Order: sequence, then structure tokens, then C-alpha cells
Amino acid sequence: MFAVSGNRFSKSPFTIIIASMVLTSIGLISLLSISVHQSSDILRSSFFKQLVFLGPSLIGLLTMIFIPKYLIHKYIFTMYFIVLGVLFLPYFSRTIAGTYRWIDLGPVGFQPSEFAKLIIVFSLAKYLSDHNLEMKNFLSFFFPTIMVIIPAVVILKQPDLGTALILLTPLLPMLYWAGARSYHIFLFLAPLLSVLTAFHALSFSIWGVLMIVIIFLERPKLIFGLVIYFSNLFLGLLAPVLWNSLKDYQQNRILALINPELDPLGAAYQIIQSQTAIGSGGVFGKGWGAGTQTHLKFLPVQESDFILSVIGEELGFVFILVIILVFTWMILKMVKLGYSSKDRFSGLVLIGIASLFMAHVFVNIAMTVGMIPVKGLPLPFISSGGSFLMSCFMMVGIVMNVGVDSTE
Amino acid sequence: MLKAENLISKQRYYIIIGIVIFLMLILLSRFFYLQIFRYEKYKHKAEINRIRAVTVNAPRGLILDRNGNILVDNYPTYILTAIPGEMEQKEKIFNSISQCTGIDSLIIAENFKKYYRAKFVPTRLMKDLTFHQISVLEENILDLPGVNYKQFPERYYPSSINGSHFLGYLKEVDKPVQGNLGNPNVYELGDLIGWSGLEKFYESQLKGTRGVKYLEVDALGREMEEVKGYNNQRPEPGADIKLMIDSDLQLLMEEKMKDYRGIAVLSNPVTGGILAYVSKPDYPPNIFTGKMLKDDWNEVRNDPHRPLMDRIITGLYPPGSTFKIITALALLEENLLDPSKEVECTGSYQFGDRTFHCWNETGHGSVNLQVGIAQSCNIYFYHIVQKLSLSQWVDNCFDFGFGQETGIDLPYEKTGVIPTEKYMNRKYGKWGWSRGNLLNLALGQGDVLVTPIQMVQFINQIATHGNAGRLHFVQEDKEEKGIRPQFSDNTWNKIEKYLLSTVSDNQGTGRSADPKIKGLIIGGKTGTAENPHGDPHAWFIGFGKKDNQMLTTVILIENGGHGGEIAAPIARSAYSRYFLPIKQSQMALKTP
Repeated sequence: MFAVSGNRFSKSPFTIIIASMVLTSIGLISLLSISVHQSSDILRSSFFKQLVFLGPSLIGLLTMIFIPKYLIHKYIFTMYFIVLGVLFLPYFSRTIAGTYRWIDLGPVGFQPSEFAKLIIVFSLAKYLSDHNLEMKNFLSFFFPTIMVIIPAVVILKQPDLGTALILLTPLLPMLYWAGARSYHIFLFLAPLLSVLTAFHALSFSIWGVLMIVIIFLERPKLIFGLVIYFSNLFLGLLAPVLWNSLKDYQQNRILALINPELDPLGAAYQIIQSQTAIGSGGVFGKGWGAGTQTHLKFLPVQESDFILSVIGEELGFVFILVIILVFTWMILKMVKLGYSSKDRFSGLVLIGIASLFMAHVFVNIAMTVGMIPVKGLPLPFISSGGSFLMSCFMMVGIVMNVGVDSTE
Repeated sequence: MLKAENLISKQRYYIIIGIVIFLMLILLSRFFYLQIFRYEKYKHKAEINRIRAVTVNAPRGLILDRNGNILVDNYPTYILTAIPGEMEQKEKIFNSISQCTGIDSLIIAENFKKYYRAKFVPTRLMKDLTFHQISVLEENILDLPGVNYKQFPERYYPSSINGSHFLGYLKEVDKPVQGNLGNPNVYELGDLIGWSGLEKFYESQLKGTRGVKYLEVDALGREMEEVKGYNNQRPEPGADIKLMIDSDLQLLMEEKMKDYRGIAVLSNPVTGGILAYVSKPDYPPNIFTGKMLKDDWNEVRNDPHRPLMDRIITGLYPPGSTFKIITALALLEENLLDPSKEVECTGSYQFGDRTFHCWNETGHGSVNLQVGIAQSCNIYFYHIVQKLSLSQWVDNCFDFGFGQETGIDLPYEKTGVIPTEKYMNRKYGKWGWSRGNLLNLALGQGDVLVTPIQMVQFINQIATHGNAGRLHFVQEDKEEKGIRPQFSDNTWNKIEKYLLSTVSDNQGTGRSADPKIKGLIIGGKTGTAENPHGDPHAWFIGFGKKDNQMLTTVILIENGGHGGEIAAPIARSAYSRYFLPIKQSQMALKTP
């Protein structure tokens, strides 16, 4: 494996890099608009910072391209525990904006949780490819789940609900990819859906009926079927208790989604302003630098989480369409590379990274347009943010590394 | 270990592809909906989002004296406001403001509660901030979401006169005030409204009209710039009012009265214009502006001498001997009195079972009407008043406007008391009073009570032989005539002659009112009004005439003793100042 032939990279999917550069450029254009019109000192603006961070990001990209696959495969569990340790480090650092996400490295803040995502994907891929698992058994979900849950809980406690949820997303696609049965995935998801529907009587009823149908079709032993069914119902009834254990701001975010007009200056304020920005952009936008929502600061966290609202307002639907198409193409490309890769490890890594990108893109965009609660999750390549930009390019590097373009 | 084969069914691959495309289509359709279907709605929303209507307070009209000197001006102060709905942590913000300005955060919180109207209406937190305080706040404005400041014109008194009682003061419109105003839209909470004096009387002229400014604002509510194409309305400043007041005379009178409780009013009897208007004790008019300290306010309010009270229009006093003029006029007009007929004054007079005294205990000797007035002999008037009935006397009082408002352009004027028969019957019972009471009334004692402003009107009518102008402060295009007491020229001339002798006569009680200016004639009447509050009140009412100029003076010193001794000299200083060029008058004032 180490003796890579010189033409190994000739088959690497370079188009992925081009796509990521296109997205990064669109991001820089918007950041420049914000910086030029709102900051007196361009050197301290988010545009300039992003530009500077492109350097380390490209180093990360190249590192991930050239690092031998077998080394990753060999030392990934060691890395897993190191990263788990590092995740605890921010608790000993000072808080930034009331959270423990950052490790203070002199002038640069650094978010270890960004890199935890990569480690999780590699670890899962190694575990699922090494153990020639009998994925027909529901218990084979156990270890992968534990592997993901531990860092997720640590990050959730930072508190960073968004990243914690993102960390969970590669699990199911990778299990599915490794051959897990659909019914088991249903069993896995059932408790979650039970909890979510518990707050709405009709949904909960429909879900209850749906469970009966699925369990019936699967024909398990009667006792198992009943246990599965009733424990899920019980969990649903327990949900209000769990709800009360959420932090206020988390509750607010969820509530604001249900009824954004309820508190126009609370959590829903961001959603309303973001929707207004996007909607008022129309097909072609108000023009670069002419977004009133953006430049009069109605739009919150516009450099990072709500960068797409800036683009929607200033550059319009046309650019949104381009961005979504590029993301779609990128993700599908990764899935396709995963499908055509020769070894299972590579395939799992690719599908894991595709899930991570998909999760980021979907959660961020859905949040921006008010479809899901405000999560505080950036948009890959486009949002400003050093650690995140770097981890995105590192993921692209991994895709380049393990992916083999077979355009036959 | 990397040898595990990649076993993935085509079906699963397509399912994953399908899920990705499905999710992306959901997102795309949402954008399509927002940006194309609902474009108009959000465009409008973005438009109103950035524009806020801000009211601009109109400066009140100025108040000028007769020479155009500014008595009441405006100066810009800053008020700090906050939009309640945009302040996430009020306590924290109040504390930050407190740190920036050095003002107790409890006061800020109290103000917030006081002015709060609605979640998105700017609520006043503080007023009268200095430029320095605003600068410090501006530096920290990013940490104070929803907090803003604007200019606010406040009253300012550049003149050295006090004039507190006629200028009046403003009050902030608070909730109870707003509730009583009828139309709540004219005044916003925190606006200033004329609450006393001319500020109240001429409120509608002085007030002006609020303007509206449409400003582009950012999400923190910070105002960026005016939006063009909107109907920006500039505030219309209130109209200035020009008074008849002569600052020079006003200042002189305030100075002369500063050690007394009492009043001094100078007026032009022909026009009715008030030239000086002093009620003492008074207060500096600016205690009602700016950061009035509670202590200052309490001190003024709890002062036993009641400086807030305008004694000229709301003080009720017995007129004392000045009312002898009414008795004399009535008798002369009805031809019931021979002015030359003498009465012997021995210092006391027996009427029924009561003994009345003259102020001069040794007696005036033989007294005719002229001497009776000039030396204010009580005994003489006890004799002659008996020819008069109570109703005749009352009619004469009413003819001169006593018992009624003078209609001067100030609010809250009182009417005083002229005891009619009905009044006396009600008060004492039909048989409870007798002609003996009339003896008292003839001397301006007993149940009769007048306001000093009524005395001003009274002396003005005498000085002009019934042609005095209606009393007023604000210059008018057309002088209005007041009440018209009707007496024959003969009566007017005689009474004027007697009043002149009060001042010019060696024995005259008002002799110290004469500044001895060539060509100036002075007439007047002193009064020493007994009252239950201690020493008698000292009155002097008088007029001075020179060429075509006329000036009347009404001076009252509470518990001042004899009118001739204490009130008349104050009148003299007014005459010298008015009828002499300034330099000469200052010299005249120095000579005793």
C-alpha cells in the first residue's frame, strides 16, 4: 500500500478540489462584501482572516492527500483516544462566548471538535471494515454507537448541540453501507422518533400505527414485538420530562421554530431576519454590497452561520442554486467514489465524509431558511471560521487520498 | 487489514443517492419559495425593517421682554432612551449605563418603569445628559443594544430676572397628566407641557408641532441616516411671545422686594400692559429644569413662606385704607358728600356700643375729604360711610372689578371676596351683622378680600379715569379695553386731586413715594391692613404721570406695618427708573 505508484494521483478526483475552491471563492466574495462595508480595518476583517486561513487549510489538504492510507488505518484508534483526551482540554481553557469549544493557542483559537469528526469517520470505517461483521445482528450496532456517543456527549457538554449532532450523522449511513438491515436501523431510530412525535398528538398516533405496521411486516417473536412497541410508547410519554432537562436556550431555539412569531426578538428573531434577507433578494439579489438586512446588521452571525442569507440577499437565487448544485455534485461524487472503491475501508471513509458534508450543508441551510431550529452550525467552505475551513479541506484531502476516480 | 472487499449493493447505493438528491431538493424548493414566490412580501418586510419613524421634539417658542431681550430660551440637552423589546438583560444594561454616566442604576430603572409605554416604543431612561456623558455612552453603545439618545430642547433662563411667577414652569407629561389631557397623541410621555404662568396660558402657541424623521436604523436600533423619499416632517418650533415686561423694572423690583414677603406690580394703565410683576418670595425658574434635585424641590415646596404661590393673582388680602377711595368715589358721584365739610378726629369714634380707633391715636383734628384721604383718617371715613348703603358700596366695588377675575393672561386667578348682603346674611345670619360692619368695610377691613392684581386694575382705572386697558402680559395688536367704571369727570378729577395730595402733602401718608422729578405728578393711597397673621400688611397703590407717560404701582408688603413707610419708597424707586433716563435714575435712587 505504501509503495504508491507515481500515477496514483492521476486517478484522484481533482474536480472535488475545484468544486471546493468554487465554494470557497463564493464565500470570500460575501465576506468581502461584509468586510468592505462594515469594517474600517480590512486586516482585521473576517474576509482577511479567511484568506489567511486558506494557507493552513491547503497544508491540511495536502497532508491528508499524502498521508498513507495504511498509516491512518493502523493508528486510528490511538488517534481516537488522543482526540478524546483533547476534547476535554477546552474545559481547562478560558471560555469564549460562554462555551468551552476553544483551545487557546496564543492568537489563534482552535476547536478540537472539528477534527473529532474526521477521527470518528476513520474509526468507524476501521471498526466496520476490520470486523467482518454479521450486520444482520442488531447487537453489532453496539460498539460503533458507543464509539460515536462518547465524543458526542463530551461536545454536547461544551455546550455545542450542533457539532454533537453532526458527530452522530456518519453512524447510520456507514452502518447501512456496511450492510446493516433496514429493520435494525428502524429499531435504532424508533426511540428518537418516539420522542420527537411525543409533542404532537396526531404525529404520535401516526407513528404508533406506523410502528405496528413495520413490526408486523418484520414478524419478530411476539414478545419482542410487544417489548419494542411499548418501550417506544413509554419513551414518548417520558419525552416531556427530558424536554425539561434541556437548557433554556436550546428549548427556546426549538420553540421558536414551532412558532417564529412568538418572540420576534428572541431565538426566532434570527430566523425571521434571515428569511427576510433571503426572500428580499429575489432571483438576482440586491447586488453585491447592497444588502440592507446584512449591512444594517439585522442579520445575525452573518459571517458564519448565516452567510447563506447574505448570499441570498445580495446575489440572489441564482447563486444559491449554484451553491446547492455544487454541494450536491460534490456529495454525490463522494458517494459514487465510495461505491466504486476497491476496499471496504475506503468506501466507508468516503460515505462517512459524504454524510458529514451532507449533514453540515443540510442543517446549516435548513436553519438559514427556517426549517429547523437555529443550531449554530457553519456552511462548509463558505462560512468564515479557521478550524472549520481547515477541517473541510482536510476532508477533501481524504477524499482525494482514498478516492479513485474510475470514469469508465 | 485493508483487504476487506467493498461489498455494497447497487440498490443501497441508489437509495443513498436518492436520499441526497431528495434532501437537496427540499432545500432548493424552500429557496424557490422564499425568493421567487414570496419575493414581494419579504422585499416589503426588509424595507420597513430598516426604517424607523423617530419623533423630533419641537423647541418651544421663546418668551421675550418688551425690548426683545430673551427671558426664556431653549438649550439642547440629551435624553437617553431604550427600546424595551431590544434590551435582553435590562439590569445589566442599566448597570453599564450607570457606569458610563455615574447615575444610579436604580434611578434609571425607576425612569424606565415610569415612561414605559410599549415593547417597541423608545422609553426614556434619563434626561439632561451632558455631552461628556453621551460621549462615554457612544463608545460603549455596542454593548447597549436598544439604547439610544436624542436631543431634547429644555428651558433655559438667560435673563438675570427671576420672573418665576408669571413665566411659570413646565412639567413632564407623565401617565396621570396624559390621561387628563383628552387627546393622548398630542403629548408623548416625557414631553414638556406648560404647567403654570404664561407657559401654561400660552401653551398652544408656545408648544410647536412635533416632527417625524424616518431613519434608516440597524438591528441595534442605532440610527444611521435619514431616508429620502419619505415624508419627513420637520418640527415646527412654537411661536415666540413678546411680553410687555420691562426687564429693567422687573429686576429693580425684584431687588427692592428681596427681603420682603409681598408683591410689586408696575403697569401701564392705558394699555394694561404689565411692566414688572414680582411676588416674593419666589424661586429661580430653572429649578424646574434639568436634574432637579429632590431636596431643592422639597425645600421650595415645604418652605412655610410658600414661594411657589403667586401672591399677585392667588393671594387674598384685606385692602385696608386703599379702599377708602371706593367710599369717597361713591359718595362724590351720588353727591352725598360735601368734600369741604370737616369732621373732628380725636383718635377714636363711638358707634353704637363699639369704639373705633384712628391709626393716629392723638387724632387728626379737623379733617375734610382731601385731608381724610391724604392722611388716611379713619374717623373721617367712619363718619361719611354712614351715608352709604352696603349695596351701593358693593356696586362700586364690582364696578372696579373686585370680586371677579381681572382676565389677565395667567391661569388660576382668584376672585377675592366682596361681601354682599346675601353673603353677610349667609355668613352671620340675617340679624347677625349691622351697619357697624360697613364701617369696617369702608376701611378695607372685615370680610373684604382682594387679590393684588385687582388692586392693579383698580388704580389703573383711577389713573385713566375709567379708561384703563385690560391687564395683560403679552403684547397684543389691538389693546382691549377692560371693565368700564362710570363716574363723572368731576368725580374723577376730584379723587385724582386728593390722591395727588396723599403724596405731595407734607402730612400725606404717601409722601415718600415721590422721587421729586420735574413735571412728574404722583398720586396714590397707602393702606395698612390689619390681619390675623401678625403685623398689618403695608399697601401702596399709586400712579405717576409725566407728559403722556403713565405708570401705576401696586406694592404690598406682608406684615410690613405702615404702607407709607415701607411700601411707598419702593414705588418711588420705580417712578425714578421709569421717568428718568437710566443714569439719572440711578443717581436719584442713591439720594435718600
